[in-house]
Amino acid sequence: MVARMVDLRSDTVTKPSDAMRAAMAAAEVDDDVLGADPTAQRFEAEMAATMGKEAALFVPSGTMSNLIAVLVHCDVRGSEVILGDSSHIHVYENGGISTIGGVHPKTVRNNPDGTMDIDEIVAAIRRTDGALSFLYPTTRLICLENTHANRGGKCLTVEYTDKVGEIAKNRGLKLHIDGARIFNASVALGVPVDRLVKATDSVSVCLSKGLGAPVGSVLLGSKAFIDKAKFLRKTLGGGMRQIGVLCAAAYVAVRDNVGKLADDHRKAKVLAEGLKKIKQLTVDSSSVETNMVFFDIVDSRISPDKLCQVLEKRNNVLAMPAGSKR
Amino acid sequence: MVARVVDLRSDTVTKPSDAMRAAMAAADVDDDVLGADPTAQSFEAEMAATMGKEAALFVPSGTMSNLIAVLVHCDVRGSEVILGDNSHIHVYENGGISTVGGVHPKTVRNNPDGTMDVDEIVAAIRSKDGALLYPTTRLICLENTHANCGGKCLTVDYTDKVGEIAKGHGLQLHIDGARIFNASVALGVPVDRLVKAADSVSVCLSKGLGAPVGSILVGSKAFIDKAKILRKTLGGGMRQVGVLCAAAYVAVRDTVGKLADDHRKAKVLAEGLKKIKQFTVDSSSVETNMVFFDIMDSRITPDKLCQVLEKRNVLTMPASSKSVRFVLHYQISDSDIQYALTCVEKAVEEILTGGGKLEHLANGTTKNYYGH
Repeated sequence: MVARMVDLRSDTVTKPSDAMRAAMAAAEVDDDVLGADPTAQRFEAEMAATMGKEAALFVPSGTMSNLIAVLVHCDVRGSEVILGDSSHIHVYENGGISTIGGVHPKTVRNNPDGTMDIDEIVAAIRRTDGALSFLYPTTRLICLENTHANRGGKCLTVEYTDKVGEIAKNRGLKLHIDGARIFNASVALGVPVDRLVKATDSVSVCLSKGLGAPVGSVLLGSKAFIDKAKFLRKTLGGGMRQIGVLCAAAYVAVRDNVGKLADDHRKAKVLAEGLKKIKQLTVDSSSVETNMVFFDIVDSRISPDKLCQVLEKRNNVLAMPAGSKR
Repeated sequence: MVARVVDLRSDTVTKPSDAMRAAMAAADVDDDVLGADPTAQSFEAEMAATMGKEAALFVPSGTMSNLIAVLVHCDVRGSEVILGDNSHIHVYENGGISTVGGVHPKTVRNNPDGTMDVDEIVAAIRSKDGALLYPTTRLICLENTHANCGGKCLTVDYTDKVGEIAKGHGLQLHIDGARIFNASVALGVPVDRLVKAADSVSVCLSKGLGAPVGSILVGSKAFIDKAKILRKTLGGGMRQVGVLCAAAYVAVRDTVGKLADDHRKAKVLAEGLKKIKQFTVDSSSVETNMVFFDIMDSRITPDKLCQVLEKRNVLTMPASSKSVRFVLHYQISDSDIQYALTCVEKAVEEILTGGGKLEHLANGTTKNYYGH
């Protein structure tokens, strides 16, 4: 008998549902590079409408989605992007915006709630006048992350997002949201997803996380932005052929699983309450906003690595260390 | 009634077969980034074995496969790669090796047979004496079959020779083998023997083999370990990717055996085109699944010919200001070929008699004077 495995490492482990598998097998397809795959086209149009943007582009991963966004917004050599010091783009995307894209990052401290202080963002914008400006790269973009993974799946409010958008606009900068889990934010805040990202020039949304599709993210923005994004996607090697097979599954994911996210949040709170009862652990359960639970281990005899190892061996429960003590 | 479309633009247009669709729906999958997707793992292991290399990596496209290969072999800043001036990497991959990878290209003239002269390759290798002014040559790239040269095959002797030069100069050798199976079949050389001299090979699954998506990059374990990180960096790290690998597995299993027939069909098409006096076709140069022909009558342009053919539901692509390319694949039947030939003859007639004048209607479609 194969023991049941409880995989809590990430929401990326979701496997395609029967409905997704059936949709993939039946998908109407064509060469999306030579022309346009009809299923991809329909899915991209739907996502654009859902997110309140002009156009959308299906890409193999969130990493590529963010990379394309940064590189399109910062297509002139010598550009700089402002982003959180604990953001996914800065920490977990291989530094690609620099190593591949030649864009320089300027990090601003992420608060426990996932925001960056407004005055620190403003202070990070490079002056274009003044004695030292000939030494600076040019700030072109601000990136936010909603929900913010490293801060516990925290939601950025629509007010905060609008405020940052205002700053960007006043200073002639673009605003991109890494919205891998934007639907979780929308559900937790009770704000329609298009309203939540209204202030942005572009958004990246993951389909393969909590929504459950096997592969992919979608990048959204203006038509002009997406036209450029398409070239960059090809350049990076993300131009896939009969891609409708993946878009068909992604369509089902959005249709079937956005409505289940609230329940994931409920389950996270249940888990957090249960963990709170274990005295060697501390959990700030009021900080559990969406589908993630972080807890600290206050007994030094228990390390995160060891706990995860024992859980895996004994109980088939998979989890991930988040730091040296959590 | 939806008229049958005969799509000869490329072998990339192949749609997934029923067997592929069933395999995709039933695939055993897992998160290939957090761990390993089992279907991807077994497919990669199979492809490595088939190609005679230590390891393999499934990627979304041939462009990414080649980009990763060049960037891994040339991971030190200041690198240069030698490649054909008419190669796919140099012409059709957005210059990514430079714009994205910071690698400098040194092109060598491609001969009509797809090779580069061996002495020109050697001459292109940067001398260490000039290190103050030169980038450092680290890699040579070949393309087999060579698309822009007509789907021509590089022989195993030529490949071995270039491999020897690479080794002698401390360089790596990468083969853009998007259509390497076509070469293997046409030459009658097992595919692993054909690429034995290469440090890495890129193989397309979504072209003549018919899978919906993907290419596979093969090389040593150390190379593929680095390639995996670069794939992630470029954004090619996909999650439950087994759904695509399952289809790719079926493609290799079911379609390699059909490639010889694609080559036969190409020759039939070439013979038919030869009979049209406004064209010249060197049918002895048709080695695999591509047919290029030149238009000798200046009243017929490639663009116009393709437009008129499209009205008859035959799709093709101009190859230059005077030539057109047809590409065969297993979803093109013999009767499709006869139909295409008939359409080409009619199209030529139509254009020459002035009936091919195309007016543009408001909705962007075109209609000739005869109303169809």
